[in-house]
Amino acid sequence: MNATRPAPGSQASLREANRERVLGVVRQHGPLTQVEIAAASGLSAATVSNMVKELDQAGLVGLSRSIRNGRRAVLVSLASGGGLLAGVAFGERDVRVAIASESREILAQQLMPLQADHVADDGMERAARLLADLAETVGAGVEDIGAIGFGLPAPVDSVSGQAGSDAVLPGWRGVNVAEAMAGHLRAPVVLDNTANLAALGELRAGALRGVQHGCYLKFSYGVGAGIVLGGEVFRGSAGTAGEIGHLTIDENGPICRCGNRGCLDTFVGSRALLSSLAASHGPLRLRDIITRALAGDLGCRRVIEDAGRRVGVAVAGLVNLFNPEVIVVGGKLAEAGDLIMVPLREALDRCAIPSAAATVELRPAELGDEADVLGAIELASVLSHARAAKPAETTV
Amino acid sequence: MTVTPTPATVGTGTVLSLRGVSKRFGAVQALKNIELDVRAGEVLALVGDNGAGKSTLVKTIAGVYTADDGSMVFDGAEVRVGSPAEAQQLGIATVFQDLALCDNLDVVANLYLGRELRNGKVLDEVEMERSSWELLRQLSAKIPSVRIPVASLSGGQRQTVAIARSLLGQPKVVMLDEPTAALGVAQTAEVLNLVERLRERGLAVILISHNMADVMAVADRVAVLRLGRNNGVFTVSETKSQDIIAAITGATDNAVSERAARRTRQEGSAS
Repeated sequence: MNATRPAPGSQASLREANRERVLGVVRQHGPLTQVEIAAASGLSAATVSNMVKELDQAGLVGLSRSIRNGRRAVLVSLASGGGLLAGVAFGERDVRVAIASESREILAQQLMPLQADHVADDGMERAARLLADLAETVGAGVEDIGAIGFGLPAPVDSVSGQAGSDAVLPGWRGVNVAEAMAGHLRAPVVLDNTANLAALGELRAGALRGVQHGCYLKFSYGVGAGIVLGGEVFRGSAGTAGEIGHLTIDENGPICRCGNRGCLDTFVGSRALLSSLAASHGPLRLRDIITRALAGDLGCRRVIEDAGRRVGVAVAGLVNLFNPEVIVVGGKLAEAGDLIMVPLREALDRCAIPSAAATVELRPAELGDEADVLGAIELASVLSHARAAKPAETTV
Repeated sequence: MTVTPTPATVGTGTVLSLRGVSKRFGAVQALKNIELDVRAGEVLALVGDNGAGKSTLVKTIAGVYTADDGSMVFDGAEVRVGSPAEAQQLGIATVFQDLALCDNLDVVANLYLGRELRNGKVLDEVEMERSSWELLRQLSAKIPSVRIPVASLSGGQRQTVAIARSLLGQPKVVMLDEPTAALGVAQTAEVLNLVERLRERGLAVILISHNMADVMAVADRVAVLRLGRNNGVFTVSETKSQDIIAAITGATDNAVSERAARRTRQEGSAS
């Protein structure tokens, strides 16, 4: 048998496949001992031992001491290659935290449900502790985190670094996140709106790849948009570009949280959707509306279709203004699929100028609810590179 | 035994209701006239101080204790639960704080302990392993292998296995006794996600917890027990956690605060 022959079915190709398998298992489950790798991959203990030795020499995995079942064991984890990047993306009711290697590959991530209307201190405390926990599971520590991308579902003032207009996300009003997070973790923090982050995520790795002029529509508890111009996320002069949720739809409409009247958010925000179903369906959550609509509940379907139509009208304005090639629809409500896409498209065709409407393509998001946190890691990566280029400013 | 998901039941109603349930241990009145309703597709948090009667109530529903007084209606019919096995057969599954897992057995053996699938006379290991994977996948559980001993799993993963086991009997109500106590943040997050997933499957979940942040994050309603009695049921979306804590500690209705309130009223009317 010739072990060096690289033909398919040969020992060398088998070895290559086994190597991939070991790496795949560690990637999926986080750090494991060799025995666990053997169990999860189905490879023999001897093979795993050889592979781990090889991967360690190649610098692809890191080994650390640990204890399992009261015995000493060696924990195998993916090599982080020095500095880690962290992404934190808040939603109205949850926070998703991820840790990535310097090459922006996600090593570990976790979603944590939060109380509605949580306060900033509580949210940041939990996020920081989650980050520390996750860093530990990839065999590193908090001090290895080089930069943190931080996303909030609210307008972010890029000049002052403060979160929130007064009324959107009230628990975070006027909080200087970068300063407050520095109290929990030492790494520098870059803050952005989650719609922008999701646009960035989809731009790098999802449905907006290669798109020059596009838009990410985040349709979740509120509505937001991340605008991509010339292949870059456009944030405007003070970071609040794309606040489509506060376009005025009806000048005599209900008062919005932002203090204006008849904003899009007052018609399609989660509060509006839930309160319109409160009488017939009792107290629901946003997810309940989607699952019930998909199961065929007429009331829930109607509410989602109406919301799609309203947003379509607003998006038509966006299409008229900057003539994008692609609009990606993401966020929680995008999970309703055609229930929302079809009325959105109809309203868009009806309200936008025909030539612009004809050229714009409506796509579902590819990254799902991970888009925000991937964007946050992109941003963290940019920040850590910028700091590496200017070492004089490393004091935080 | 199949592990197909229960479709999210549309048009949910009350699955379990307790009326006037009382329980006494000698001189101690542990529960007094407890009223409780649990609906399908809802997470009901049960909170209270130490000794408020939470665990006694759970054990009464689970059939460990029998109530001295009162009635229990499950799925529209009045039932008497004489033992934990009867409760399980009815469709009330309980995950106790100690999880009751066998550390030396692997995940599959733990899931099917006492109800092993058989193929003729031998155990059907293949089918058990396959459906274990299926169940854990439905719960999006992060378990590296179903063939490793439970001892080598983390606290959150063990909790996941215990909850998964409770689902094998196709229950309608799942009771979790302090599922996040003694867990790290990441593992707590895992368990909370799991609770949300149970809710999406249309199950009624009764969650006992001391952690207000966890309760407010996943619960729809919060039932407060105080000194063995009901002390209010709160809808989470309309309540602040301070109000619930006030109900737990009794800050809302004790003699001192009532007297103080009376005095300020009198002073207000006198001036």
